[in-house]
Amino acid sequence: MNHQPSSATRLAAIVLLVGIAVVACGRPNGTAEDQPAGSTPAAQQSQADQAATDSAAPSSLTTDSAAPGDAATNSAAPAASPTPAATADPLDTQLSNIDSLLNGVNGSLSGSDTSGGE
Amino acid sequence: MKTRIPAMFAGLALGGALLLSSVGAAAAVTPPPGSSGNNVCSAQAAAMKTGATIETARALGDCEIGRRFTTLAALSAKIAASKVLSPSDSAALQSEVASTKTGLTSLKATIDSETSLPALRADITKIAVDYRVYLLVAPQVHLVSAADGVIAAQARFADVNTKLAARIAAAKAAGKNTTTAQAALDAMNAAVATAISLAQPLPAKLLPLTPAQYNSGTAGPIVTSARAALGQARDQLKAAMASAKACREALK
Repeated sequence: MNHQPSSATRLAAIVLLVGIAVVACGRPNGTAEDQPAGSTPAAQQSQADQAATDSAAPSSLTTDSAAPGDAATNSAAPAASPTPAATADPLDTQLSNIDSLLNGVNGSLSGSDTSGGE
Repeated sequence: MKTRIPAMFAGLALGGALLLSSVGAAAAVTPPPGSSGNNVCSAQAAAMKTGATIETARALGDCEIGRRFTTLAALSAKIAASKVLSPSDSAALQSEVASTKTGLTSLKATIDSETSLPALRADITKIAVDYRVYLLVAPQVHLVSAADGVIAAQARFADVNTKLAARIAAAKAAGKNTTTAQAALDAMNAAVATAISLAQPLPAKLLPLTPAQYNSGTAGPIVTSARAALGQARDQLKAAMASAKACREALK
């Protein structure tokens, strides 16, 4: 019997291997099993330092997130000026919508008044 | 195998490109149809007057049908795009436009195969008389749209009424005189009610009208009175708008 794998079988095997490799590489914060076998204590310390740095990141993000507060303060400045912008009346929008509706009614009425030469 | 995987990717890329190009082709805008105006067929009409032949008659018939197709397409687009037409009115109008187009398509086929000039003259007369695209179908679409537009305004004015009534109540609670504001709000509501009573019965009167009724003289007056009623309804809504603004001003 000929046990030579067909090209489709070989392709399937390659796809499977590539898939496993992609899954393995793509796993975030690999577990202990993912650690390289030759990981030295120094390297582990270095990784711990890195982790500490990473964990510190949120606090720096918090600091960064204060910036929008500054921005808010800045953007609030014009409101505090002696001539504040007038707030829009919600009724204006509704009346404007009705106005548009009336324009449509007008358009339909004028469109209905053409004989077209019949 | 090494050569097959790049080939597979190349195939996928080619397939994707073909798919995208076909989507682009489907989204391509259809060329606009010809004009639908009154004088579109004036050259064909003049040719028919100076020397009536089967060819000139056919050209006039085809042109007159063509401009009606353009009008019907525009009406269909207006119905489809309408935000105020009720679903049932929209469906009824689309059905009328579609059946008119079907009838005219059939008449065009007759005209194109006609071999006698008197028969062609009779066919050309049918284009206007049997279908009444401009005197009946187009007014039906426009007037029913206008009526439904007026009816759609009712809900929006109801919203305005709620807001203004709340403001009047707040002003009254604060010890303000709200007599003028209340009178304006009452006037707004009365004007809206009048507009609605004028517009509400019209779709049911307009939609069943047929070219035969137009030709017998019964549909024309209904169309004319509907147009007049809708003019009044529109004026009532304008007055309602003015009252709403007056009410708001009175509360400032």
